[in-house]
Amino acid sequence: MKKVSAYLVCVLMVLGLILSAGCGSSQQAQGAKGESPELKAIKDRGVVKVGVKVDVPKFGFKDPQTNKIDGMEIDLARAIAKKVLGDPNKVEVQGVTAKTRGPLLDNGEIDLVIATFTITEERKQSYNFSEPYFTDGVGMMVKKSAGIQSLADMNGKKIGVAQSATSRKALQEAADKAGVKVQFLEFGTYPEIKTALDSGRVDVFSVDGSILSGYLDDSTTILNDRFAPQQYGVASKKANTALAKAVDDTIAEMKKNGELDKLIQKWGIK
Amino acid sequence: MNGPFAGYKWAALVRDWDVFAEGFASTITVSFVGLLLALAIGILLGVIGSSRWKFARNVVRCYVEAIQNTPLVIQVFFLYHGLPHLGIMLPIFAVGVLGVGVYHGAYMSEVVRAGILAVPRGQLEAAYSQGFSYWSAMRHIVLPQAKRMAYPPMTNQAVSLIKNTSVLAMVAGGELMYQADSWSSTNLYYGPAYVATGLLYLAICLPLATYARKLEERTGVHA
Repeated sequence: MKKVSAYLVCVLMVLGLILSAGCGSSQQAQGAKGESPELKAIKDRGVVKVGVKVDVPKFGFKDPQTNKIDGMEIDLARAIAKKVLGDPNKVEVQGVTAKTRGPLLDNGEIDLVIATFTITEERKQSYNFSEPYFTDGVGMMVKKSAGIQSLADMNGKKIGVAQSATSRKALQEAADKAGVKVQFLEFGTYPEIKTALDSGRVDVFSVDGSILSGYLDDSTTILNDRFAPQQYGVASKKANTALAKAVDDTIAEMKKNGELDKLIQKWGIK
Repeated sequence: MNGPFAGYKWAALVRDWDVFAEGFASTITVSFVGLLLALAIGILLGVIGSSRWKFARNVVRCYVEAIQNTPLVIQVFFLYHGLPHLGIMLPIFAVGVLGVGVYHGAYMSEVVRAGILAVPRGQLEAAYSQGFSYWSAMRHIVLPQAKRMAYPPMTNQAVSLIKNTSVLAMVAGGELMYQADSWSSTNLYYGPAYVATGLLYLAICLPLATYARKLEERTGVHA
């Protein structure tokens, strides 16, 4: 009997943990409807915390020589800081991956995610997404020696994708249409997929086209095919509607006055 | 309610249960075959490691130190990404079995060696005096007694082995952790995904760990 009750206590503790985590977030959600304590908290803190990529050249990339994170998405973060706090330098960026960006938003570690984050219906249920600031198609990189020209040559091939994997769905649909059977392997980071391509574990490295160009070298080539346009949006916590609106306004403004196009040109993104 | 554990996220988990079932089945198969390999390596090298042959003992020592003092992640990376450059393309199942089997085989061999050393030397000498050879004395006299000492820590190794199969998630291993990562990074319902995954690991590891504790009590090793 004693043992049974000990197990029960364990189970109850786990359940309690889950429930309390759930309740905590719902309380915050109610508070937001009033006077937006989240936005006030950012203003009090005096800095916007933004999660960005550190392994995607031109978008968010940490230069190993200078240790500085720079890119189009960091510039976008600065523009948002200017709008919210009146100073483009009041930004604190932090590297995120496909796996960490959701949890970091939820636990309040960061206010915004600007990290090649593709907008999907499913994700919109969990987070606020701004209107898209960039649209990109899924691209494919292969070894030159593999002799693959297009999706039609990929029957029975293995395709390496990132775990955030909107590219997986897009490619699967395209492959089904072309009557080509492919297999997908998912990896946590882009360099890991490149390693897998080099070692021959995968035949194709497939992520959003603009990301792909950062990994091009002498032995590889990027195919001309592009699939399923991916729209990148700025994500914020669902409860933080005031911040989401400020972000949306900023992007709409930048689109209208041409600053967004300038930014894309500045970083040489196609 | 909208948080990491929102109700609709749990519903999605239940709807996609087959993704997790597939990973769970794969985790169990890799664990089982990996455990057999670890046991075989452990017993063989444990016996050699406690034998009188100095050269063989040193070879075993090198293996155990090399394996125990490098992370499993690196060993698995080597099997997965390194070997293909040498022209050896192991299927992912073999990478998993070899990875955890060789890794925990090293630990198992130390456990077996400690068990053998715990058997009084007189037992082996008595066996020799009765005309047993080294190997048959090991098999019929020493190992059965060593087993009693080695069993509980070996069971704990089995628990670690099962948990360590999750390393395969980093090389697209298709097991439980990979499936959880894959599923939750697409829809970002990571709350239910990792809780459910944790519970599934708990469901196989807890009974084993409990069994190990019972064995410890029985052998009188328990405090």
